[in-house]
Amino acid sequence: MTRFDAIVIGAGVNGLVAAALLARRGKKVCLIEAARHAGGMAGLRPGEGPALAHLVHNLSPAVRRDLGLGRDWPFALTPLATVALAEDGRHVVVDGPNAKLADGTAHPFAAAHAALTERLTRYGALLRNMAETAPPGGGMSGIAMMRQGLRFARTGLSLRAMGKPEMRRFLQVLLSNAYDLILDEMSDGPLAGLWTADAVRGAALGPRSPGTVFSLIYRMGHGGIVSRPEGGMEAVIAALEEAGRKAGCTLRTDTRVARILTEGDRVTGVATEAGEILSAQVVLSSAAPLTTARLTGLDHFDIEATRRLRNLRARGTVAKVNLKLARAPALPGVDLASARMVFAPSAEYVETAFNPSKYGEMSEAPVIEAVMPDPGAASPWLSLLVQYAPADLDGGWTAAARDRLAQIATRTLARALPDLPGLVTSAEVMTPDQIGAATGGPGGHWHQAELTFDQMLTLRPGNGMGHYAFGPSGLYLCGAATHPGGDVMGLSGRNAALRALEDRA
Amino acid sequence: MSVMTDPKVGLIPGPVHDRLAALSRSQAWYGWAGYVAPSHLDSMEFEYFALRNQASLFDVSPMHKYRITGPGALAMLNRMVTRDVAKLRAGRVGYTLWCDEEGMVIDDGTLFRLGEDDWRLCCQEPMLDWLMEAAWGFDAKVTDESHDIAGLSLQGPCAFAILEAAGLDVGHLKPFDLAEIEPGLTVSRTGFTGDLGYELWTAWDAAPALWDRLWEAGRHHGLRAIGYDALNLARIEAGFLTAGVDFQPVLSVERLHRGLTPFELNLGHMVHFDKGHFNGRRALIRARNTPRSLLMRLDVEGFKPAPGALIYHRKKREIGHLSSGIWSPTAKCNIALAHVRMPYAAQRPANLWAEIYTLEEGRWATRMVRLTPVKGPFFAPPRAKATPPARL
Ligand SMILES: Cc1cc2nc3c(=O)[nH]c(=O)nc-3n(C[C@H](O)[C@H](O)[C@H](O)COP(=O)(O)OP(=O)(O)OC[C@H]3O[C@@H](n4cnc5c(N)ncnc54)[C@H](O)[C@@H]3O)c2cc1C
Repeated sequence: MTRFDAIVIGAGVNGLVAAALLARRGKKVCLIEAARHAGGMAGLRPGEGPALAHLVHNLSPAVRRDLGLGRDWPFALTPLATVALAEDGRHVVVDGPNAKLADGTAHPFAAAHAALTERLTRYGALLRNMAETAPPGGGMSGIAMMRQGLRFARTGLSLRAMGKPEMRRFLQVLLSNAYDLILDEMSDGPLAGLWTADAVRGAALGPRSPGTVFSLIYRMGHGGIVSRPEGGMEAVIAALEEAGRKAGCTLRTDTRVARILTEGDRVTGVATEAGEILSAQVVLSSAAPLTTARLTGLDHFDIEATRRLRNLRARGTVAKVNLKLARAPALPGVDLASARMVFAPSAEYVETAFNPSKYGEMSEAPVIEAVMPDPGAASPWLSLLVQYAPADLDGGWTAAARDRLAQIATRTLARALPDLPGLVTSAEVMTPDQIGAATGGPGGHWHQAELTFDQMLTLRPGNGMGHYAFGPSGLYLCGAATHPGGDVMGLSGRNAALRALEDRA
Repeated sequence: MSVMTDPKVGLIPGPVHDRLAALSRSQAWYGWAGYVAPSHLDSMEFEYFALRNQASLFDVSPMHKYRITGPGALAMLNRMVTRDVAKLRAGRVGYTLWCDEEGMVIDDGTLFRLGEDDWRLCCQEPMLDWLMEAAWGFDAKVTDESHDIAGLSLQGPCAFAILEAAGLDVGHLKPFDLAEIEPGLTVSRTGFTGDLGYELWTAWDAAPALWDRLWEAGRHHGLRAIGYDALNLARIEAGFLTAGVDFQPVLSVERLHRGLTPFELNLGHMVHFDKGHFNGRRALIRARNTPRSLLMRLDVEGFKPAPGALIYHRKKREIGHLSSGIWSPTAKCNIALAHVRMPYAAQRPANLWAEIYTLEEGRWATRMVRLTPVKGPFFAPPRAKATPPARL
């Protein structure tokens, strides 16, 4: 049987969520994935070691609810403290609003940190309201976009929770840069470095770039808690897969969609690379927007739309480096087994790390986030996200360049963990170009498209495409390039599925 | 020739400027797309009557001309323009419009299908950027031929006879046909006058010789070189629109909501919804039955041409304006193209009035004059369509 109510292209986090949601609403759904496994970018593995995505900070309870997964996810999430590594050994241990030094003494900016956490978490909840709602209104341009953004912000605003002056402050900081925001509250050092590193993670932006307060708040959309999924990202993906299967959704892996079929101005299904035709009145695609447009045929899209798709900024800057260790590293006074380590000794350091990427070079002193997904293992993996490793590296990502990146990463972490190099038995590297090639995500970008003001809310992925519907009737985008964006979160897929259901109603 | 003109130079001469300059008694020039072009060479009336009674020669070289070639050219053009150009055979010319994503007209022009995969688009507005955008992702190549191809427009009842006298056999050309009559010389039976007429296309450098050849052949047929003013009279009589006058090309307006849909320009028959997607199609489907205003052809009471005059319903409510207006010597009436808001544009009987300003021997006054809707062009002689055409 090759007739379905809906076809979902791509079994990444968003495709999985979209497909499961549609199936739970009684639709006959086929989820088609080119790779051999579901999981997309999040589940991609450079080799034997952990998958690209190693932490969960935005997984949406709204998604869990809509997939009927009950009160708790069917996997354990261990909240982790964060260790802001310092070269002088004065590491900062951050647990939510609490920041102290690793030796147990008080951090001089503990109060500022607590206040900032509280404030940004509050803003984050506000942003989450918006993230869970499809952006309102039609397409627009110019100043209207900004106004719309702010109006949108106000929509989700509970005035009971936030007074007028506070709202004004929110709208002010939303547009500013993380560097100024953070250094207004504390002097530069590992704690400020951590804040700014979190603000730019995944982005082709530095802490001084405008809009980075927005991405910081985005990161805190679900409370700012960083959790390690026990069983790795595979457990998260398996749970989403299972939700779909239970609802009757058909998953076809190792099957590449070659064309999205249309008749008149309606989609009628897809053709696979093997030549099989699957028909459906509704097709949701979590492939990148331009890829989806090409699958459909550019002549089905307006010239302006094509231009916007072509000019979408998506330049991945994060590489994955997995280090196999002889044993877990140790730091006095810190439980590294249940910690996320961040090497970003100052905000200035993060900005400086960003600079070479503008010219197609990798950072010689990168920003690194490191965790042990399975700290109990005899010889555990240390999973690193290394930034900035630009997709368009000058000279290309040769094997030698990847080797060098692994060395740089190890050497950099050794500035705070001196015994690390001696523990490394092997390394695996996956750079943005490979991530792009494996998932079709342009530039191997974390969010499929840079998350900046000109590419967010109603303007995500582009003006006139902010409502998931895309070109011919029945076609929808549902990947991270749509509102609200990427992360292991699932809201893009959920919102798109809800939109498709609404249109059919 | 280079596409960019030297900014220090200002207007530059067109390919037959020497011929025009020698003929110009009135020395009335204006700038057309960067070229010096004649408003008139003698008097507009002379030129107009030559056009309608004998023949006229007008240099259309400043028009923008783009060549679109390649196996994907048809798909690319059909995605860009509103009519189905798959139905345009090689050797035919089609009038067409193209719209932005909101269904607002960007420009209109003539599309020449020179060969299966070989097209030329002639239009008033610079369109290279747009064509490049439109061609992206298609197997089609866009070349700006504006400064490589010259065009001479020979219009009027004697046009055919003059071509024959010049040794050019175009008797078989039906309206909107085109053919390469001689190596390097393409003739299309097209024009902007609503009359019998031809446009001759050749290499820029070959234009003076072509001009001389036609001029010589036209000696006994009363051929006259004309300027834009006479042409403008003729095109309003024929009911043709001018970009920037009768509609605002939407890519060059800065204010919001200045664009118009083809339906609002009474060009709905140029929109072929059944051909698959084209730019602005989805917006036009929504806009199709809800025009905000309509382009109307009007007979204006009295003798005073009134371009720019405001239009009132029952002499009270302001509901539009006249975009073009002339005294038509041939139709013997005062005619205008106008934009009238809905629902007034559709009401019958129309109760439309224009407020015009009159100056009589030093005294200004305003007057309300009645506007009467006219169906079809003000002037459409059968000779324009006859094939073979008459040898007058
Ligand atoms: C290095 C790195 C580390 C990250 N770490 C984290 C993290 O720790 N925590 C976190 O929350 N987020 C993390 N992210 C972000 C997160 O992984 C992504 O934002 C998210 O996975 C995007 O999911 P998606 O479903 O929108 O897109 P994708 O995962 O890219 O899914 C698209 C899917 O479509 C498939 N596809 C494409 N074309 C076709 C076709 N023609 N036919 C069939 N299938 C097709 C692809 O194979 C792919 O599986 C990380 C990103 C990167 C790059």
